[in-house]
Amino acid sequence: MPFSEYLDSMREDCRGLVAELGQYFDYVSILGTDVRATVYRADRKLSMVREGAGECGFVIKMHSGRSFYEYSCDSIEGDKKALAAKIAGSVKIAGELTERQIKTREVADTPMKKDFSRENDFADYTDSFLLGVCKKISDDLAAKDEKVLNAIGMIQPFTVSKLFVTKNRELAQYYGWVNSYAIVIYNDGKMVQARRIDGAGSISEAVGKTLDSLDKVIDLARHLTKATPIKPGVYDVITDSSITGLIAHEAFGHGVEMDQFVKDRAMAKHCVGQYVASPITNMHDGAAAAYSVASYFFDDDGVLAHDTQIIKDGILVAGLSDLASATQLGTDPTGNGRRDNYRRKAYSRMTNTFFSPGTDKLEDMIKSIKHGYMLFETNNGMEDPKNWQIQCTAEYGIEIVDGKLTENYVSPVVMSGSVPELLKSISMISDTFEVHGSGYCGKGYKEWVRVSDGGPNLKVRVKLG
Amino acid sequence: MTEIIKILENTEGLSGYKINGTKTVSYELFFVHRSLETVRSTDTSSKLVTVYVNHDGKVGDSSFSVYNSMGAKEIEESVKKAVARAKLVSNEPYDLVPGEKLEASVPTNLDSYAPEELGRMIADAVYAADTVPGGSINALEIFITRSTSRVVNSRGIDKTQTVHHVMIEAIPTFTDEKQSVEIYEDYRFAEFDAEKITAEIAEKMREVADRAKAVKPGEGFTADVLLRPLESMELVWSLADDCDYATIYQRANLHKEGDNLQEGDGDKLNVTMKGIIDGSVSSSYFDGDGSSLTDTAIIKDGVLCGTFGSSRFGQYLGVEKPSGVLGCIKVEPGTLTDEQLVSAPYLECVSMSGIQIEPYSDYIGGEIRLAYLHKDGKTVPLTGISMSGKLSEVLATLRLHEKTCVYNAYEGPVSLLLKNMEIL
Repeated sequence: MPFSEYLDSMREDCRGLVAELGQYFDYVSILGTDVRATVYRADRKLSMVREGAGECGFVIKMHSGRSFYEYSCDSIEGDKKALAAKIAGSVKIAGELTERQIKTREVADTPMKKDFSRENDFADYTDSFLLGVCKKISDDLAAKDEKVLNAIGMIQPFTVSKLFVTKNRELAQYYGWVNSYAIVIYNDGKMVQARRIDGAGSISEAVGKTLDSLDKVIDLARHLTKATPIKPGVYDVITDSSITGLIAHEAFGHGVEMDQFVKDRAMAKHCVGQYVASPITNMHDGAAAAYSVASYFFDDDGVLAHDTQIIKDGILVAGLSDLASATQLGTDPTGNGRRDNYRRKAYSRMTNTFFSPGTDKLEDMIKSIKHGYMLFETNNGMEDPKNWQIQCTAEYGIEIVDGKLTENYVSPVVMSGSVPELLKSISMISDTFEVHGSGYCGKGYKEWVRVSDGGPNLKVRVKLG
Repeated sequence: MTEIIKILENTEGLSGYKINGTKTVSYELFFVHRSLETVRSTDTSSKLVTVYVNHDGKVGDSSFSVYNSMGAKEIEESVKKAVARAKLVSNEPYDLVPGEKLEASVPTNLDSYAPEELGRMIADAVYAADTVPGGSINALEIFITRSTSRVVNSRGIDKTQTVHHVMIEAIPTFTDEKQSVEIYEDYRFAEFDAEKITAEIAEKMREVADRAKAVKPGEGFTADVLLRPLESMELVWSLADDCDYATIYQRANLHKEGDNLQEGDGDKLNVTMKGIIDGSVSSSYFDGDGSSLTDTAIIKDGVLCGTFGSSRFGQYLGVEKPSGVLGCIKVEPGTLTDEQLVSAPYLECVSMSGIQIEPYSDYIGGEIRLAYLHKDGKTVPLTGISMSGKLSEVLATLRLHEKTCVYNAYEGPVSLLLKNMEIL
């Protein structure tokens, strides 16, 4: 499926509304979105083919030469003069709040006209085939072990079309992504859930990975039934790439979102140019930094995708900004302005966030630990960029004794503590690299966007509980 | 919606339909420190159409959104596509909720004010609490929302309700020569009361000042931990998940009706799922299927005693009158008194990253950003700690405060006491 026909037909309407709103505001941009998603799912009792979380609408961003205004709506068709007047009226401010409006620098409107597109194989597959694959995943999982209570196969492809128009700029982009899931609920005296999530730009790749992993899902479920709580303490830990990504994202990434800098909500603001991690550590973020779920061509402020190096050889060198924070800080936006959907505000957000690979071999890293754990699979995490405390939960860990992985599983495992202590404790980094594109990220407890994170294996020392 | 219904009724092959429509109007203010950075307004709608097809003794369903961009021809094509998809889906039969009509508004005073005036008054009420020396509110977001939801189906359901609510996200901060610390405040209400807002934020300003004084204990210890309403709500809600018809039907429930969750000497939980709690932003007259809501007791004296959920999964389980999806939870008060708390040492959780409750792993814990250690008549603020314990043991010895409050979707004890938690 190519770029949205509807958005393509709205280019002239966008230009007309930008011109009319130019009577009221110094800078006007319009972002049109047309996101289509489908959910295919089957378990032992239920099946489903339906639309997923899509959207189709417009958000108009305006700058008065002083501060920002936004208006979200479903349509911009019709009388542009009347619509412009309605929009200007809808963002009026009461009383003395007008005097409290922030003063930022002017917004640059650099000329550019370009259409971007990344092809996919979604049109090659029928609804019937994809639901059939979900049923196969469910059937195959259930057939592997009688202790499987339920088995779920799920495939979720989505496509994104976005049109961005200002007085001097007109950008369009189209791309897609798909996630594929295999999940079992398993009971062997203790009920557990084990899962595998794969992501890719093509259905063939994502589904192929999932179908190849079903034995591992069952094996994990069997081990989790035997898992015990971890004894709280400080341990030497090896992270798998998923947990590496969780650390990159939660422990550090949120702290370099530069809308937090303007609010004095991030310790990192005061640490640019300083060591924040061990000198062997390098970290990046950017829609152009890796190919994954957040690999768009331009952000929701119309800024082209970047590859931003955040940490270079242990030193914090750069943050991530959206248009609003960059105009307040006097910096150039880094292509990190993202919205939950067209109804919501743009903030500085991460995209694909990861630590760069090192030179160590994973087996050497494990051998180097007398007693500790290797942690696997992100459950969730919560940021605290102001005070640099972390809470990251791994689905499970495997005990390491005398340099060898044992059969002792612990679950769940919560990492907590101080971010600088954690990052400065990185002593070994593997030469492997994987980014996982199946996650969602919130800002506080809202504003969900799709993100990826990952990297190599890390050896760290951290508090587990 | 009339045009969509006409298309649905003229399409061959479908056995029924449901349309969920929502129109949302909002006015939003975004402050950086005390300065207004962005003013937003939204006027958006959504329409989700679900078609049902009976085939081969089974029922299939599929849904799609109708956007403003779609003309009649595209809607017709979408309906036909959904019918084809529904024919691929073979689920056990169930009936749509039968015809009732309703038009209601959840009572509020928020509709008494112009949005921009209400926004200004809320901002003034928040910043009125910014009086603590060294304190500041580094960010404030105000969302004033009016949302009208309508459910229509092919069996005559046509229900509409309008709800108003406000969400405040504020970042109280305290800065001295040594450090700057903050806490996160998410405050929601359906009734505007300036004094109440100021009092809520003022309490957070006091707490963040305490976070600056807080110390990290030198070593781990065991303590009874007092949870506030947010974490109390999440704990009880995690237990309620086992009573959801859909969870039970999909065999994902850990416990079943008759199971005793509290074999110990603690206060016994008595929990009821509810449609409406006065003052709650989650109150609703009907669910997404248009079902009227029936309040349902799910835990009595610590024993699972009832189930709740949607009409479809209720029918699958043979429930004669499904409760509907209930969005509020009420917990009866217990016996814990302020006097008892004064006399015994305990750790009062003020701010957590997010409580972690893993029923499958029998785990409860999380990182604590600020807690008060009450001991020997003294109160010491602590930070940089985490707690962990076994959920089953915590429930067995749980204590519930005798006083109650309403918080978001929760009405219940102002605090829950978890015994013998490991603190590190």
